[in-house]
Amino acid sequence: MKKKILFSMCLVSLAAVLLTALFTSLVLYNRTYDELKDSIKTEAEYISVSMGDDPIPYLQTAAKVTPSRVTWIAADGAVLFDSQSAPGEMENHSGRKEFQAAVETGRGEDTRLSSTLQEQSYYYALRLSDGSVLRVSEDTESLYRTLLRSLPVVALLMAVVLGVCVLLSFWQTKRIVSPINNMDLEHPEEAVAYSELSPLLTRIERQQKDIKGHVESLRRMQAEFSAITNHMSEGFLILNGQSAVLSHNRSADWILGLDEDAQGKNIICYCRNKDFLAVVGKALKGEQAETVLKRAGRSYLVTANPVLEREEVRGAVVLLVDGTEKLSREKLRREFSANVSHELKTPLTSISGYAEIMAGGIVKAGDVPELAGRIYKEAQRLIAMVEDIIRLSQLDEGNPGPQTEEVELLSLAEEVCARLRERAAEREVELTVSGNKAAVLGVRQVLDEMITNLVDNAVKYNKTGGSVQVIVEKTTEGGAKLIVADTGIGIPEKDRNRVFERFYRVDKSHSKETGGTGLGLSIVRHGAQLHGAELQMESKLGIGTKVRITFPNAHCQGHP
Amino acid sequence: MRSKFDEQLQQLHVELITMGGLCEQAIAAAAKALLDGDEALAREVFHTDGEIDRKEREIESLCMRLLLQQQPVARDLRVISSALKMVSDMERIGDQASDIAEITRCIQEGRTWGHISIGDMARATMRMVTDSIDSFVKEDLKLARAVMAADDTVDALFVTVKNELIALISEDSENGEYCLDLLMIAKYFERIGDHATNIAEWVEYSITGKHKGEPL
Repeated sequence: MKKKILFSMCLVSLAAVLLTALFTSLVLYNRTYDELKDSIKTEAEYISVSMGDDPIPYLQTAAKVTPSRVTWIAADGAVLFDSQSAPGEMENHSGRKEFQAAVETGRGEDTRLSSTLQEQSYYYALRLSDGSVLRVSEDTESLYRTLLRSLPVVALLMAVVLGVCVLLSFWQTKRIVSPINNMDLEHPEEAVAYSELSPLLTRIERQQKDIKGHVESLRRMQAEFSAITNHMSEGFLILNGQSAVLSHNRSADWILGLDEDAQGKNIICYCRNKDFLAVVGKALKGEQAETVLKRAGRSYLVTANPVLEREEVRGAVVLLVDGTEKLSREKLRREFSANVSHELKTPLTSISGYAEIMAGGIVKAGDVPELAGRIYKEAQRLIAMVEDIIRLSQLDEGNPGPQTEEVELLSLAEEVCARLRERAAEREVELTVSGNKAAVLGVRQVLDEMITNLVDNAVKYNKTGGSVQVIVEKTTEGGAKLIVADTGIGIPEKDRNRVFERFYRVDKSHSKETGGTGLGLSIVRHGAQLHGAELQMESKLGIGTKVRITFPNAHCQGHP
Repeated sequence: MRSKFDEQLQQLHVELITMGGLCEQAIAAAAKALLDGDEALAREVFHTDGEIDRKEREIESLCMRLLLQQQPVARDLRVISSALKMVSDMERIGDQASDIAEITRCIQEGRTWGHISIGDMARATMRMVTDSIDSFVKEDLKLARAVMAADDTVDALFVTVKNELIALISEDSENGEYCLDLLMIAKYFERIGDHATNIAEWVEYSITGKHKGEPL
């Protein structure tokens, strides 16, 4: 723009300077030339009038005062006098144009250029009364010479004009462009600086509307996307081909410790776990991969999927799902099935063994009752276990069996203890029930089993001469509290959380010494859950265990 | 030109973190092998150590390329030269982890160390290694200084372990071999702590331009 304006301005002004110079010199030249002609004419007239009878001396005098050349030519063309040359040396002038014209019409003129074009001569001839001709002439600079001589001046002028042009064009460009630059393109219709620009501005306006629409819809989509991802409990990450973070949601921030300037950083800056990085690397090679990431005490299932664009991997999408509960449940289930088959197999193996011996007929008749007794005992154990499993699965399905009713815990506890007193006496364990009457809303049969299992355990894992205390109390909230405390062997700390699991035994040898199915405390926990009760356990190794079940207020409670 | 350089610096950063992650892995596996008596984990440490050595050579040649081809100045130069120093420390950590695993394999089974603080020591050094790498990743000066301070804790733990072992030997001289093995392991942990401190010091240098409080 600037260059273009400068260029055209210079061109125009240079042409103007040149043309002006040319025309002024032409006009001026012509005027001076005309004046010269006039003065020569006057001079010739003047001399011709004053020549008198003896013209030669007069002409000599006149020639001295005038710069013009004065020539007197006879009627036949011979030169009679000349102010610059001797008349004898000069050729006959009859051939000259001005002479011929003067002879014919009385006056004649001619202009002749010198051979070098540098000078030109003007001749004016006047016929005198005697037929001779007086000629006055003057040499002047030719037009070419004049022009040539004015060239330096013109050049100087051009240089000055050029300089001015540059300055002017800068100023002018700025003046033209600044309104354009200052145009408010947000509202182009109001900012018309030049009417010539309005078609352009209309187009800009239309495009701007389009762009605004696109941006708006993109923003809406982005907002929807982040609203969805940010409210996901799963961590969500998008990585590019160099495993730099492109997008991350709040859960991912929380799980991996991403901060606000995580965008564009390599994911390795936040998680150096080998398996996690391997999964990301696999996804970036185009394979789907999964792993488990342990972080801050929780386990996350990591799923990484490649993002393909035209058969080419452009990045990866990583999903982190908190699988702590799921994984531990799965582990429990695996252990349960392993345990249940083992537990069921043990009595069956004994039964099968005894039966085999008996079938072989190698048993003395006297031993048969004893062996049959053993088979009976093992079968009873098996039945008890299967019954327990059935009950557990009933509780699992939330099927409590009989209807709920108001159950008085103290009398129930006494009932249970009366049943178990005999066994307690066998082990020399003192069994006492104390406390106040407290009623809960529940299933009598389930509550009975819960107390039976607790007291039975307390007796079973007791020391000789120990004691078991069953205490029933009302809580301040109107609920009931059942405490079973023993002075038994206690439970080691690492097993304390697991004793309520099915088949879990502190004593791993599955010894039959104490009997039991390993399901008792599991039933207690399920029963407590069914009644909305809170189960607590305190235990000191070698000193005793205290199990506390707190039932909520029976009247505030809805249907269990 | 510049963008290529930036890309290479970024690559150096990622490679260093990867190597740091390998070190963490090696020492964690060595500690677990020691505390749980897991033979398979001990073998894994040797494998990881090999990987660490490979990574060291890779990073070194990357640093050399950067130094020769890009002729970095000021902060970039500091980052690259401290990276060169850091990889040697990391490599030593890997070696010592594999030394620990080696000794662990020789210790007879069935030994328990409930009353010896070697577990605490393993955990403290692991924390230091993780923190020193974290301080590098996040350019966290505070964390780097915390690592330097934690070295004293590990040193103190070494003395504790040593005294416990002396007591164990004076109890029964049969324990001698076992105690010496444990002392070696404790010393290795203590050395790993020193290397973690070195890493933290180089992190400090690459951020502030001062190594141990003095301009280099």
